[in-house]
Amino acid sequence: MYQYLQEELEQLRSKIIRMGSLVEKQIGDAFAALFTGDTELADAVLKRDDEVDKFEIRIDKHCQRIFALTQPVAYDLRLIMASLMINTDLERMGDLAVNISLKTKYLSDFDELFHEVKLDDLAGKVHTVVKMSIDCFVNGDSELAREVIIVDKEIDRLEATIFDLLTEKMKEDNEMIVPCSHILTLTRNIERLADHASNIAEDVIFLIDAKIMKHAKELHKKSEGNEQSG
Amino acid sequence: MSEKILTKNLNLFYGKTQALKEISIKIRSNHVTALIGPSGCGKSTFLRTLNRLNDLIDSVRIEGEVFIGGESVYAKGVDVVSLRKRIGMVFQKSNPFPKSIYENIAYGPKINGVRKKSELDEIVEHSCRKAAIWEEVKDRLNDSAIGLSGGQQQRVCIARALAVEPEVLLMDEPASALDPISTAKVEELIYELKKNLTIVIVTHNMQQAARVSDHCAFFLTGELVEYDETAKIFTTPSNEKTQNYISGRFG
Repeated sequence: MYQYLQEELEQLRSKIIRMGSLVEKQIGDAFAALFTGDTELADAVLKRDDEVDKFEIRIDKHCQRIFALTQPVAYDLRLIMASLMINTDLERMGDLAVNISLKTKYLSDFDELFHEVKLDDLAGKVHTVVKMSIDCFVNGDSELAREVIIVDKEIDRLEATIFDLLTEKMKEDNEMIVPCSHILTLTRNIERLADHASNIAEDVIFLIDAKIMKHAKELHKKSEGNEQSG
Repeated sequence: MSEKILTKNLNLFYGKTQALKEISIKIRSNHVTALIGPSGCGKSTFLRTLNRLNDLIDSVRIEGEVFIGGESVYAKGVDVVSLRKRIGMVFQKSNPFPKSIYENIAYGPKINGVRKKSELDEIVEHSCRKAAIWEEVKDRLNDSAIGLSGGQQQRVCIARALAVEPEVLLMDEPASALDPISTAKVEELIYELKKNLTIVIVTHNMQQAARVSDHCAFFLTGELVEYDETAKIFTTPSNEKTQNYISGRFG
């Protein structure tokens, strides 16, 4: 039944790639809507979330069927386990795109503040790392996956910088508390996208190199060490 | 897709013992249907009602109806030999004739009147290819089939069954006496054959049923407990008894 299993796995892989494309578009559109104030585009993201949710369930059911019917082992087993985990991360990324889109209406007057705290820089880096994480699954590239994990740590530091800037602004001017609080939440949502991209990268390393990267500190320490020595 | 096999209120008795109880089932064309259940549940008995193999047992009494391709199997005047030409069967233990590989496969067509050597050659090659055994036997077709490995013998038996171009193939634990590699070959073969055939397979191997079949029928003490798509049976069975059996809690 090798042929049957391979056909099923290829279909599953295609579904994950389609889910990845769908979510990547959601994120791209959510960012575009946020930084241009395009509320129609933001609404489109909200409407499409249903599609993401339905696709997540389809992938879950497909994985369940393959597990139940084919008893996969080795790489095949890891592919299904990785697909389940990636699927969950992608769906949550879709939810974060929705959260970001919901902020578009409230924050359309604060584009100057966005630029001042370099939120667009953060979004750009996050969008890139999301694409990288999907690419490393598509190409089975565990080296690229390791880069994703390192970039995520850079993004964490960028988020911390933005947090400091925003809290300073709130201390200086009470009027800024409400908009800065919104932007803090938004920053957190954007940064969480990179965390999910990093999870996907870990799943790709698990898939390709059969190594469990969850909670692995080595790469993080390495990236911090490189920065200090540089 | 239409149904190929239909049974209505099928009851079977071995003397006073009832082995099948009111079995009504529709088996679809070009699908693989697995019959599963613990020993003595009636699955092999049911399989053998489809080609009237139980007729050979004196004490057997059958009630109800069986239709293959819309034609009643137990109607008066049915030619059992013609019926079995339409319904091939493969058994647990490979049972090649003590003849050459070629003669084993050409046997059915010959008794059905095919005489021309070139035509028989073509049938033998075609059947062997369909049974995924051609490459292994093409250079030794005149060797005894008994000299082949168990897995090869079983595929020769499948080729022999296919040589008369049946509409239905019944398989009674066809891989239970084979090693894992031969089992995998037979399973691959089943997957290929269903494109042109309706296959009903009895298996004790739950994983095999899950792998090879499209539909699954769970038998218990002569009753059909559950019949559904295999994916449904193995992910969300409707009956607790099915759940307990497929997860190994009994049987």
